[in-house]
Amino acid sequence: MEKVLYKMPFKAKVNRFFRTLTFKKFILGLLAQLWLLLMVLIVLTPVVWMISASFTRGTTLESVPVYPRFSEWTLANYRYLFTYTSSTEAGALPDYVQTFLTTLTIATATMILVVIFSSLVGFSFSRYKFKGKKQVLLSMMALQMFPSFMGMLALFMFFRQFGLLNKPLALAMIYVAGSIPYNTFIVRGFMRNIPKSLDEAAFIDGATNLQTLFMIIIPLAVPIMGFIAVNAFMGPWLDYILPSVIMPQRLTVAVWLFRLMDPLGSTYEPITFMAGALFITIPIMIVQIFMQRYLVYGLTSGADKG
Amino acid sequence: MNQQSSLIEKIKSFPKKFVLGVYHLILKVIHGIGNFFKNIYLAAKLHPKSFISGLLSFFVMGLGQLRNKQWYKAIPFFVIFLLFIIFEFATSGYIFALGGELQQYPPEDGILYFFRDYGGFITSGIWGFFTLGKLVLGDFYRGERIVTYDRIFTWKSADNSQVLLGEGIIAVVLVAILLITWIFSIRDAYRTHRDFVVENKVESAQVFIKRVWTDYFAYIIIIPSAILIFMFTLIPFLFSFLVAFTNWTERISLGQMLFKWTFFDTFKMVFTNSAWLKFFFDVLSWTLFYAFMSSVTVYVLGFIQAMIIESKYVVAKKFWRTILILPWAIPGIISLMLFRNVFADNGGLMNQILASGGWTESVKVFLRSIGLVGQLDTQVGLGNILWLTSPQNGGLAKLLVIVVNLWLGYPYFMMLITGVLGTIPESLYEAAEIDGANAPQKFNYITLPMVLRATAPVIITTFTFNFNNFGAIYFLTSGGPGYPLEQIPETVRVLGAQPGQTDILISWIYKLSFGSANDQYNLASVYSILIFVFIGLAAIYNLSKLKSFWEED
Repeated sequence: MEKVLYKMPFKAKVNRFFRTLTFKKFILGLLAQLWLLLMVLIVLTPVVWMISASFTRGTTLESVPVYPRFSEWTLANYRYLFTYTSSTEAGALPDYVQTFLTTLTIATATMILVVIFSSLVGFSFSRYKFKGKKQVLLSMMALQMFPSFMGMLALFMFFRQFGLLNKPLALAMIYVAGSIPYNTFIVRGFMRNIPKSLDEAAFIDGATNLQTLFMIIIPLAVPIMGFIAVNAFMGPWLDYILPSVIMPQRLTVAVWLFRLMDPLGSTYEPITFMAGALFITIPIMIVQIFMQRYLVYGLTSGADKG
Repeated sequence: MNQQSSLIEKIKSFPKKFVLGVYHLILKVIHGIGNFFKNIYLAAKLHPKSFISGLLSFFVMGLGQLRNKQWYKAIPFFVIFLLFIIFEFATSGYIFALGGELQQYPPEDGILYFFRDYGGFITSGIWGFFTLGKLVLGDFYRGERIVTYDRIFTWKSADNSQVLLGEGIIAVVLVAILLITWIFSIRDAYRTHRDFVVENKVESAQVFIKRVWTDYFAYIIIIPSAILIFMFTLIPFLFSFLVAFTNWTERISLGQMLFKWTFFDTFKMVFTNSAWLKFFFDVLSWTLFYAFMSSVTVYVLGFIQAMIIESKYVVAKKFWRTILILPWAIPGIISLMLFRNVFADNGGLMNQILASGGWTESVKVFLRSIGLVGQLDTQVGLGNILWLTSPQNGGLAKLLVIVVNLWLGYPYFMMLITGVLGTIPESLYEAAEIDGANAPQKFNYITLPMVLRATAPVIITTFTFNFNNFGAIYFLTSGGPGYPLEQIPETVRVLGAQPGQTDILISWIYKLSFGSANDQYNLASVYSILIFVFIGLAAIYNLSKLKSFWEED
């Protein structure tokens, strides 16, 4: 598509719109806007209800009104979230703050290790020819096809045997190992587009492999590493199955939230859920919207259709 | 026409090709083994002096390198060798055995029990891998009755097959690593000596280290990741894969911690037992339907939205786009749990809206008339509609699963297709207009084919993703509602492992392995393998279309 060189001022746009307005255009435009309005309504209703619920006084869903009543809003749920201390009885819910910090530890550790490991592997796969490269790539693809939690039974057993249950760092290692293959493909796709002549020039100037990696490739690959880092950081916040098995006593945020959702369980608190969920959703949403432009890239990188 | 017939030919010739492929593979393996021994024979014949170096390394890893005066190679090899031996001895009870504890062994298995009682991690691991344990609580062994599970005095302990299988896999992998290093060391000792004799080539320590660092740099930076993947992905998968070939469930449910290799019995059971077969096909057909419908609906709505927002009749494009993207920005797990609340039986938003407008009864009558709500619902529901929980309303729950997925998933395609629409050159439309094409024709002949071609791989990926979309089911319905009791065969009811009506394969597998029932690990494993085959085929097909994947760098 041609690049637009001249950007029309808003006023001129409005003028043009009315000048070119015809009956057909008016009707079709109205219909389209109405349709979009309907869609926006469908999209926003549950979200608004969730926000309204998180500010509602009460403990059951019945106390949440259909139309939000702003005058009755209260911060009580959020206060409860951060001041609540867990009782010692079995099956009681741990503190939200502690849960939050545990998840933060896991997410940070995962992020750092994933960036280091997958940029190393991606570099190796994008820059070198070696024996068994294709086989390794293929088997990494195959590994991803297997339902990921099938390995969990074994992981649970090994972790129990070696005393690694409820250890945040041990869980982070599983995340790292699990995300290396996918991230390798992304990094490889990106690094392939960095011209090889740069490496050759560095080689002629007497740079070693390590120097080429750290002084030439990595500075150029910062955007993709940022992309991977953000993804790796967000993963643990939202994963449920693995932490529910590997960390039965020290919950992560997702497991904690899901505990509040079971109507038959002893910890059914749907309103607290709304507040807790909203609290982690907002930062993630901001990051997601910020990352929007990488979306199509992450989708096609390393696998653009020929 | 032509393509179709060639496809049929391909399918027809597949069995023949498959048999031929297997035949060639067997030939290749036999050939490889033959070549291996032939090469050893040739090596001994042509360079007997160099062969001695190899032979020394064969007995003690690193000894051959020492003879070649390459201490910098000999030391690492020898250290690895020593580590294995120390590890085996440190974890064993050989010292007790030598101290005169050797006693009468059950005659039928003889010496094998020696490794059970005294072997180190590697030998007892291998014993455990092949036998999966022999003794249960209450057995009479070496003059005593076994009463405990004891991790230290193993001969007093009953066997636990889970642990034995786990340790066995680790032991087998360790042995494989040792063997590969060993072969590598033998080959290296022989070749270095031969090169020295034939070409008079010598390499100093410095040159060697530098050569390895530059030539094998690609391998060296992969090693840490490879070890991680090995430990946390590969070995656990191997374990789960092997469980499919045991009778885990059957024996553990009898209260023993012992199971056996039964090879293909579980597979046979899955495909011959009518109760399991019925469930499998119910779940499979729903999984396929769900995966197909959820991918198609999401794609179509995303397409429509992109077309509408990008059309020239719409004002404030950016505003609409920003709001309509919202479901994509909210984490899926949160949205799904939110919708679980929206469709909650008591106080859920949906029921509240219906109640506030007084529409509950008319909606219920309507839903019943199209068969989505069962006849019994009024008695159970206390006036509310049970969207996701009543066994009578399975159809409704299934519909909602797809609708909620649509809410979650369309923004992604909206953005994607908006992007693709931007890449279609304006000149194409202008040319079409000159040729007198109307709007539907322009859509049919330009927009649709262009968008479809650009997004085809994504559609397949979405299908495979939805096929395994555990979260979409588990967080919304947890697989429920269950089947009405009268539809569940008696045998399966007892096991308590039946799927719910909205369970897809993956969420059923989760139920089988971590649910409340007796852990049906071998069944779960068998179904995982079946999924793996299905998804793997789709993925390989998709991959084979991607030129860039196969491109050499």
